[in-house]
Amino acid sequence: MPAPRRARTPLACGLAATVVAAALAAAPLAAVRGSLRQALAWLAALGLLLAAGAALRVGGLLAPALAVLVAEYTVVVVRGGDRVDAAAPLVGAGLLLYAELASWAREARPRVRDERPVVTARAAVVAASTLAALALGALILLAAAVPAGGGLDRLAVGVAAATATLALVVVLARRTSTREPPG
Amino acid sequence: MTRRPTAKIPTYVGVAALVLLAGLSLGRPELVAVAAPLAVLVVAGLAGARDPELAAEVTVDRERALVGDQVTVELHLEAAARVERLEVLLVVPPGMEGPAGGPGGSGLGPRSAGATRTWAVAVTLAAGERRTLAVPLTCRRWGAYWLGDVHLRAHDRFRLFTWERHLDRHAGVKVFPVPEALRALVRPFETQVSTGSHVAAQRGDGIEFADLRPFLPGDRPRSINWRATARRGTLMVNQRHPERATDVVLFLDSFLDVRGPAGSTLDRAVGAAASLASAYLRQRDRVGLVSFGGFVQWLQPGSGQAALYRLLDTLMETQVFATAAWKGIRHLPPRTLPAKSLVVALTPLVDERGVAALFDLLARGYDLAVVDISPLAHAGPAGGEWDALATRLWALERETLRHRYQRLGAAVVEWADATHLQQVLLEVEACRRRAGLAPR
Repeated sequence: MPAPRRARTPLACGLAATVVAAALAAAPLAAVRGSLRQALAWLAALGLLLAAGAALRVGGLLAPALAVLVAEYTVVVVRGGDRVDAAAPLVGAGLLLYAELASWAREARPRVRDERPVVTARAAVVAASTLAALALGALILLAAAVPAGGGLDRLAVGVAAATATLALVVVLARRTSTREPPG
Repeated sequence: MTRRPTAKIPTYVGVAALVLLAGLSLGRPELVAVAAPLAVLVVAGLAGARDPELAAEVTVDRERALVGDQVTVELHLEAAARVERLEVLLVVPPGMEGPAGGPGGSGLGPRSAGATRTWAVAVTLAAGERRTLAVPLTCRRWGAYWLGDVHLRAHDRFRLFTWERHLDRHAGVKVFPVPEALRALVRPFETQVSTGSHVAAQRGDGIEFADLRPFLPGDRPRSINWRATARRGTLMVNQRHPERATDVVLFLDSFLDVRGPAGSTLDRAVGAAASLASAYLRQRDRVGLVSFGGFVQWLQPGSGQAALYRLLDTLMETQVFATAAWKGIRHLPPRTLPAKSLVVALTPLVDERGVAALFDLLARGYDLAVVDISPLAHAGPAGGEWDALATRLWALERETLRHRYQRLGAAVVEWADATHLQQVLLEVEACRRRAGLAPR
């Protein structure tokens, strides 16, 4: 067995996740002015606090942190009117990156030393997921820009797609539910 | 293996559903673009999750070791499917120490968990890859250990599931104390009939000169002492002491163990018993053992290498077993304590039952030598005036007890912390000589 240093992965991942969350929380503030900006700043601070907590201390805060960060972005998008925000794929990829880094920080135990291939493979998966999320977001925005009938048709397609995605998740989750070994 | 979903699945699905719903209701494709990656990652992870079908085996390179030796635990791992991250956690029993000895000093980080510690590492395994992890452990204390208590936890690529497994296929290792070199032992008052290394009090064929007596019919001519015959004018023959073996019973008081930072009374007793057994058996004596405590164990006196291993194996299983039940030596089989045997008691003299058992042995006429393993050093320094007074009272009580034993004919010596066992045995021998119990 080699004798490397004590594991620092949890702290590094937690700090990286907090930095990403800070960027996600701060970016929407630049798009608004006035009293809304002040209100959003409070929301951003709450989001950052939750995000840092989720990444560094309590893993259970991940869902609220994501929800607050998305809520902040939603306010900016809705406030923007009919113009499609081209930065949405970046926000989606950033959210995924934050969530993955925060999860990594929680799963890496300080007393368990990860071998280098484990860390490399995990970093590769996170990077690939982020890039894929970016591409997927861009694809969705492009698809949204294609004229496809009236508003009702597009809504029907959207409802069908969302329902199909969630149904697929439920089916797969049931198929892979927790099983105790026999005996 | 037991599969468990991680908290990521409900978190990602919940957030994605919420944001998709918001996107649909508000008619904003940006929100769909934000939520879709989370949903797609969960779908990809669920579709790709496979049981790693992990095969694991634990082996230990040896079955016996001495204190200070290193034993290597080998974990052989093989997975049917690729494992992105496999946490291997080995439970290190108290008395053993992992590779680098301190937290953070090694590739396997130790973690305190009560009395035990764990060593853990995370590795990756390719499909069909066979991997061996060797974990060297240093034996710090004597005892019988079970190694191979291993916990495995495998993760999938997206960390949506964990598969857990506990290996309890234990491999036993016995760690013996390093025997001390003893040049002089406690000599018995009486010997047995078999030939050995002790000069017997009786007269017969031997080497050591005992006395002169007049010649009798049947005496061998080579026994005639010609000088004495010339002086006295009648035939005189030499009488000699024969060399005989003895039966030694090591009486280990294991009712209580007084433990301190420097060690414990039971550790010292077991170490001393192993050293004494080894030394007496080298002299061709028969050695038996009585481990007298909450859990009573005994071995009838035996000789030779096999007896030594039997005795050491029994010693390794010695432990303090808390019980309030009264136990006396009448519970022991009679052959465990043969007549004319020398009983060497190793006791801290703190439990009433152990103290009473020694009085009982004296009352039954056994040749008893008591090594009082002082617990005073392990009790810690006195913190104040009252502590100092209590310690002095305790020391006085112990001294009174030792005097009571001495009055009944037992040699009792206190074994202080810094004293070598050999020095203690010499003191016991001197004490016995003063009391007329040992041959001069």
